Parts: sequence; structure tokens; C-alpha cells
Amino acid sequence: MRLAHIADPHLGIRQYHRQTSAGVNQREADVAAAFRTAVDDVIGQRPDAVLIAGDLFHSVRPTNAAIVFAFRQFQRLREALPGAPVVLIAGNHDTPRSTETGCILRLFEELGVDVAAEAARRFVYPALDLSVLAVPHQALVGGERPALRPQGPERHQVMVLHGEVEGLLPADRSGEEYGGAVVTLRDLGGEGWSYVALGHYHVQHEVAPRIWYAGALEYASSNLWGELVDERRKGQAGKAWLLADLATGRMERRPVRQGRPVVDLEPVVAEGLNAAALNGRIAERIGRLPGGIADKIVRLCVREVPRHVSRELDHAAIRRYKAEALHFHLDLRRPEITRETGVGTPGRRQTLPDLVRHFLAHRPLPAELDRDAFVRLGTDLIDAVERDPAGG
Amino acid sequence: MIALRPIGRVVATELKPSTPHQFYFWTARDTPVGIGAIVRVEEAGRVVFGVVTDAVAYSDMMTPMHAVLGADGDPGAMDDPTRRAEIRLFSASVLRQMPEEPLQPVPIGPVRLASDDDVRLALRMDAYTGRDRATGIPVGVYAAGGLESPVYLDCDFLLGPEAAHLNITGVSGLATKTSAVEFLLTSIFQTFPVHKGSVAAVCFNVKGPDLCFLDQPAVLSDEERRLYARLGLTPTPFTDVHYYAPFKSDGVNLNTLRSHEALAANTRPLVWGLREVLDYAEVLLNRDDVDAKADAFIDFLGERVVGRDYRDDTLRTKPFNVQTFADLEEFFRAIFDFVEAMGKGGEVWRTHHVATIRKVRNRLSNISTRSKGLVTDDGTASDLPWGGFADRNVYVVDVAGLDPLAQDLVFARAVSRLREHLERRDLGVDHVVVFVDELNKYASADGSDTYVRKMLLDLSERGRYLGLVLFSAQQFRSQVHRRVVGNAGTAIYGRMDMDELATPGYATLSPATKIKLATLPKGELMIRHPHFTQPIFVKFPRPPVMTSREGLDRFPPATGLSFPDAVARQLRTFDRHISTDGVHALVEGRAEPDVLRALAATRRERPADPFAFFSACLGRRVTPEALTTRRPVPSIRHADGDYGS
Ligand SMILES: Nc1ncnc2c1ncn2[C@@H]1O[C@H](COP(=O)(O)OP(=O)(O)OP(=O)(O)O)[C@@H](O)[C@H]1O
Ligand SMILES: [Mg+2]
Repeated sequence: MRLAHIADPHLGIRQYHRQTSAGVNQREADVAAAFRTAVDDVIGQRPDAVLIAGDLFHSVRPTNAAIVFAFRQFQRLREALPGAPVVLIAGNHDTPRSTETGCILRLFEELGVDVAAEAARRFVYPALDLSVLAVPHQALVGGERPALRPQGPERHQVMVLHGEVEGLLPADRSGEEYGGAVVTLRDLGGEGWSYVALGHYHVQHEVAPRIWYAGALEYASSNLWGELVDERRKGQAGKAWLLADLATGRMERRPVRQGRPVVDLEPVVAEGLNAAALNGRIAERIGRLPGGIADKIVRLCVREVPRHVSRELDHAAIRRYKAEALHFHLDLRRPEITRETGVGTPGRRQTLPDLVRHFLAHRPLPAELDRDAFVRLGTDLIDAVERDPAGG
Repeated sequence: MIALRPIGRVVATELKPSTPHQFYFWTARDTPVGIGAIVRVEEAGRVVFGVVTDAVAYSDMMTPMHAVLGADGDPGAMDDPTRRAEIRLFSASVLRQMPEEPLQPVPIGPVRLASDDDVRLALRMDAYTGRDRATGIPVGVYAAGGLESPVYLDCDFLLGPEAAHLNITGVSGLATKTSAVEFLLTSIFQTFPVHKGSVAAVCFNVKGPDLCFLDQPAVLSDEERRLYARLGLTPTPFTDVHYYAPFKSDGVNLNTLRSHEALAANTRPLVWGLREVLDYAEVLLNRDDVDAKADAFIDFLGERVVGRDYRDDTLRTKPFNVQTFADLEEFFRAIFDFVEAMGKGGEVWRTHHVATIRKVRNRLSNISTRSKGLVTDDGTASDLPWGGFADRNVYVVDVAGLDPLAQDLVFARAVSRLREHLERRDLGVDHVVVFVDELNKYASADGSDTYVRKMLLDLSERGRYLGLVLFSAQQFRSQVHRRVVGNAGTAIYGRMDMDELATPGYATLSPATKIKLATLPKGELMIRHPHFTQPIFVKFPRPPVMTSREGLDRFPPATGLSFPDAVARQLRTFDRHISTDGVHALVEGRAEPDVLRALAATRRERPADPFAFFSACLGRRVTPEALTTRRPVPSIRHADGDYGS
């Protein structure tokens, strides 16, 4: 029994301002391409079943283009692997907030995809001796939870679930960042499962033996820099889906090529530098990146930048970097108090992000919260909202 | 007061003089006086009370040879042809002289048996009975010569603050030690005066069914009922008794002989988590004489690690949040992995030596595996109602089925908690009697200086200021640490063993008193109490509670309940309308650890609808949908377009 485990495609996400020649948001096109690549690879691997662990779409009401695209991909999958069940669950991003909204995922039932959008469902495939407990986001947050335990006589007991396993994320990036339902490892009941396919956390991760997050197919979380940090810690590069061989217990990471690199440049410490020197240091960091920053998603953190220095920086140059990259984020941090700004803000006081930042930096906090992380989270959210009006 | 006829006269000779403390008197051949009898001597305005401690009889026969000659050497011959002069001579110890000053030898005067009032005066009970704000607690009747007088203990000297504690000793089965304590508790609960405040009892059941039926009535004889009436007591069992017992290792059947369904309502589990154990981890350690280093490491665990986020990036990036034994084990493993990875030089972690860490870990994991039913892994506790104790309530902690180490732990923690709450005056009652049977096991005279012994010693020395009172019992007083029994203001002796009486602790007792103690019938006791100048013998009725033998007959323990039945039993203690069938249906096919966890959560939350809550904890079962045929897939011609490129 070999299972394809895909998670968090986030189709329809719109980020940054660039569009393709066909007029599609570039990141939207990137995630679609990643999904198509993954589907191609899955078809090539011919697994016995395919599990999609939530957040197929980035929002509850994706664009028509995204829906048509997804439909086409499922059609290809089903046509190429007619004997393989395809199980799809809703994640926190594509779960309707009210029942009236209706769930677009049900559309794929027309293609023979087995969908759990709100309640948990248990799909039994006698021909495969396989039971799949499908637990969408809503089943974990609304009312009485289902028993997350193997049931029935089937030899292969599999669960696919969208949620955050408690304690998974470092404390400074608490669960709320992702807005998911929290389950404990004990809730999942490690014993007895042949495999648990998790979705929600965008970095591939083994929670416990046979319990995995496949990770997203593209950098599509609200905190992609945090994602990068986690990946670096794990020695992972890029995104992938997982091919699980239940007989041998072997897990195969199937990388998916990204549309473009996401690069966090080595930070600059600006202490003691004047504006000219700092301009030089920034240019040097960018120049050192092989292939330059063109069309990439790039961040450069600069610490210890006094206000007057940031005011005097070469803003024309910064605008050039910004135009060249798909997204360039110059993260200037003032000495002492934490300050994170996008380009263009220095000197312009009392913008909304400024106000929020100021408020967060001074409001009373419970002692156990790390203020820096808290402020950063707030600023990131504001940034995301400002840049991505369609986001959900 | 009717002056009874004299039954004897004081006799004082140069060889056997009267002193202020002792005197002799003779009686007729046929006399009701016996060892332990209280007598009154009155002469010329002076009244002396004494208690008989010894007796001799002899005739005017010169030598035994004269007797042989007188009978012509025939033992079968008739009595002496002439009746010889003969004497019954009793020695008595003075209980009280009135007036007390000037203290003089006992006058030579007529001796009478003591009346009720005499007994009251002789035992100085007039100081604390029969007046306003009396503090007398009936302990039994003094009986002699057809007279029966109630004897009272002074609760200021029994439950503090003047003195406190009670110890009872005597041989197994005949000394009626456990029964006497049960009776005395009944008496305290019925007569402890209102102006002294509230009182509760915490009893550790250490022997089988001993204290398992305190809330069930006894079958008493008319004679026993009469005794109750004489003492001003009613023979009713305890009305508010709460039982606590750990689980058996299955985690759901209670480890007690009080497991009959009809008794389940006030029988609760005693379950502790890591926090509860860790606070008293010393108990687990000092058996093996563990050093200060281990204590330091335990303190570190208690203060820095357990129950809070503990960050140590050298161990792992994610902070530890240790709540349970399983979490703790994970933490220990991280330390050992770290130390191992360090290789040479890695014998120390944060100033703690690896050997110390291993030792602490072994002791802790030992208790969690050996006492599975007491120590739970999921961090939920079920405990005595600290802070919510109620007046005249009995809390029985059944540790009879636990191994010795776990018993020590239960003792140490329970007594320490009582102490803390009494110090803060927030236990819920003003006085607590702690009853510990088999004291020799917990505070032995020889043997190592364990934590529990130190604790009992401390309790016996300082408890009276707090209202924390120790009632203890053992077969051999000589086997108990001297200061623990020595601090007991009141000492009671039932039937004793001769060898025990030969030990130095009993040197002050007369030979006749020792003989009496060695042959004491059931239901009779000798009492030392601060107000009584001499030990006094009393009789008490059987306690008004069902004997353990009858209890076991009437309420046979529920042996080997099936898992679902035991779960249903537990749930019904929260809501008696929950049906066994319903529980069976719900539990069927679920993993036992899941069910136990749900049960523990229900116990912790005390929800309005326990069954619904329990069921929600287990989670809804998801109905299977068998998918045999698949929908055909429509083929689609047109290409993807350029959406994803
Ligand atoms: N007041 C009494 N009068 C007559 N018999 C009594 C009285 N009290 C108890 N008994 C009987 O004496 C027996 C022993 O009593 P009990 O169990 O209290 O003794 P014990 O000293 O605690 O024994 P052990 O050392 O074995 O615990 C019981 O059968 C009990 O019914
Ligand atoms: Mg006994």
C-alpha cells in the first residue's frame, strides 16, 4: 500500500503585485504550477490512494480560474489512476464560515473524489482493505469531536487531518498564527494507525513515527520567513509531497520545484555605519546573491539602524531592488526598540502600520509573551493585509 | 450523698505504714474489692481516694509445715477443725486527697467503695465535667462492686491545646484497639463541646477491611445499649464518612474491600499526579539514604521544570512543558541524550551529576509503575477535599492495598497537607484526629530514620498547637519510637502480652496490675490520662459500627468487575441514573487508556451532564461508508490554459 500525501496547495492565493503575461497574479500562478507539478509526479508514481490534507484553496471563495484549474487537475488524477481513491478534506482556509456559503470542494465529488468538508467521514475501500478517517478543520472546532482512533477491521488504518499538533510550533510563533484547530499528540493516538496524513503546517515534519505533515507545495503561509527558518533548522530545502509505503514504512520525499527562490539574505548590522556605508553594505549583500534578485522573493534584515540613517538611505536604489525582485523586503530595525518597516515608510509617521507597531510595542503584555515576537507578528499581519486584499 | 457501708479499714503498721501516696486496708473475706477498684477513706474531715494496686491474703498459720501437720498429711482431709484467723490485705495508691494541703499520710479510717460522685472527684473529673463549658468526653465506665460510673477524658488534654494525642497498645484481636478508637471517635463526635469548635477525623486504613464500614450500623446487645445510655451516647454509626482508595493497576477498579456497589456513593478514587508526588519525593528517596545532591535536583525539578515552560536550547529548541510522568521521562531522556552526545566530560548537566539524575529518575519512575493505581500519568488528581473539611466528618484513606513505599507517600502528603491547612486555618475544621494503626511500622523504635517517622514525631511534638492530633495503635508499644508514644497525653492499654509487660516501659506497674493487664477481657482497658494520678480500668461497649467480618458478609467486595462495568460504576458515582448498558455501548471497542483518560477528565471537570461529557471526551464514532464502485470520470478535452504557468 503506497499513499500519496499532499497538503496545503493554497490555490488562488494572491501575493505581491506582479502579474503574469496572462494577467494572473504571479504567486497565484506559482502555486498552481506547483500543484500541477505535484499531480504529474503523483500520476507518475502510481500510488494506491491519494490524500489531500486540507487548504486546497487559499480562501473559501476562490476565483473561477482557480476552481476550473483544480477541477482539471482532479480530473487528470482520476483519469490516470482510476483505481486509486482520492480523499480531500477542507482546511481552515477553505472551510466556509457559515453553512450557507456552501463548500466548493463538494464539486469534486462529481469526479469521484471523496470529500470531507465539515463533518469527519470514514471512507472504507474494501478492495484495498483500507479505511480512511477524513477529519476536516470544522470537525475539530465545531461541537463534539470525532474519536480520532482506528476503527473497523480494515488492515490499513489511515487518517487524514487538518490541524496543529500542540507543541509543534516554537512558542514565539504560537498556534494562532496559522489559525488552526489544535490537537495533542495524544488526541491523535499514535498507536494503531498505519499512517496519519496531516495538513496545516507548511514545513514537512515527522510528528511521530507514521504521523507526518507533508508541508505545503509553495511558500504560501503568512510567515514565510519563519517557514524558511524552520526549514533551515531541519536541513530541508524547498517543498515536496510525501509518498508513504505502508508495507516498508519508507517515506519518500518528492520535491516540487518552486516557481522562484525565496531568499533571506544574511542580515546586516548597521551599528556605527553612516547611510553611505549602509547603502554599500546593502548593495553588497544583494550583489553577492548568485543570479541576482530578479524575480525572486527576497528579504534583507538590517539591525541597529538609527532613524536618521534610515532616512538618508538611497531610496532610489531601494526602489530599484523592489522593482527587480518579485518582492523585496528591506527590514530595517532601530536600535533598542524593535522596528520593522517596509521600504518607503521611513520618515512618514503615523501610517497605519506605524500606529499598530507603536501600540503593540507599548501595550501591557503577559510576562510570558516575547514582545519582539509579538510586535513582529502584528506587523507581519498588517503587512500581509495591506499587500493582499484578497487574502483569507 | 448516701454513705455506703464501709467494706474495709485502713491498716498501718511500722512495716507497712500509710504514706501520702500509698496505704493498706483490710476487708472481709467476701469482698467486692479487686485490683483497679477505687475506694474512699474518710476520717476527721479528710477524704482520700485510692485505687487498688495489689492484694495479699494470709492466715495466722505460722509455717506451711503447721498446715501439713494439722491435716495429718492428708490433702483430702476436711478443713481445719478450727477456723483460723485470716486476712485480705489490699494496697492502694492515692488518687487524690481532699483537702490537698497539708499533704499528709492517709488516715486510719473506714474504707468504702467509690460512688459515681467519688469517682468524679477521685479522677479530678470535677474540674472538667458537670459545669459550664465542660470538656469531658466519655471513654467508658469504671465498674466495681456492682457500681458503674462514667469516666471522662478532658478534651483539652486529648485534642489540645493542653496536651494531646492518644496511643493504644495491646495484643492482636483481644486488646480491642481498633474498636476502642472507633468508639472514642463516636464519643468525641457526639460530645465534643460546641465552644471548642469543629472536629474531623482522617483515618488511614492499613489492614484489610478494618475501617471499611464505619457508616454501617452494628448489631448491639441490650447490655451494650445500656452502657451507651449510661455514658450519655447514642449507638449510631458515623453519618458523614468519605472513603478514598487508589485504583488497582487496571486504573478503574478501586483497590479497597469497600467495593460493593451499594457503598460506592461515598467511596472515591485517590489519584495523584506528578506534581503531588514530586512535592513529597523525599519520602521516596530517604529509604535508600539519598544525599543532599538528589534533594537539590528534586528541588530543581519542582521549582523550574514541572508545571511550567522550561527552556534549554542545548536539550532541544522546543520548550519542555512537564505535566506528567511521561513528560518527565521525555525530559530525562533529552538530558541523557545530551550528556551522551557530549561524550567524555559529560558526567554533569547543569551542576547535577548524571548519577544523581539517574537515581532520581529511577525512584520517580519506580513509584509510577509500582503504584499505578495511585499515581496517574495524565496529570489529573483526585484527592481529599483540602480546604473543604466538614465538622464531624470522617475521611478514611484506604491504603491497605498499597505497597509500603506508596503508603509512606500517602501518609506524608496527607499529614503534611493537613498541617499546612491547619497552620493557615483554612482546612474547614479546627481540629483533626489522625488515626494511624500499626504505628510500629511507620515510627519504629529501631530502624532507619524515615521521612514518615520524622513527620510523625513532629506531629506528636507540635501538632497540639495546631489542632492536629494523632491517635495511634500498635501491638507492642516497646517497638515504637519512644518520643512518638511518649508524647501521647493519653495512653490506653488493652490485653497485653507478658513479655511486653516485662520490658522496662512497664516497670512502674505493680505485679498484680500486670497480671490483670495480661488477662484483661475484651472490652476492658487501662487508661492513663493527665488528670488521673494512677492508671484506671474502664469498660467500653463495642463501637456502633458494623464489624468488618459482618461488613464483608453483607457487602461482599466486587471482585473483578469487567472493565466496562467498573467504568459504569465510576460514572454512576457522578450521576446514579447512568445506565450500565449505555456505558457498555459507548465503551465497546474503545482502547482502555482512552476510556480511563475520559473518566479522569470527567472526574476533574464535574460537568453537569457527566455521561455527555464522558462521551464527548471519547469522541463521536464515525460511521463507515463503504465505497465499492467509483463514479466514472468524464474526460475533458481542453488544455489547462495558461493559468498556472
Ligand atoms: N467493647 C468490646 N467488648 C467486647 N468485645 C469487643 C469490644 N470491642 C471489640 N470487641 C471484639 O474484640 C475483637 C477484636 O477487636 P479489634 O479488632 O478492635 O482488636 P485489635 O486490638 O484492633 O486487633 P488487631 O491488633 O488484630 O488489629 C473483635 O472481634 C471485636 O468484636
Ligand atoms: Mg486493629
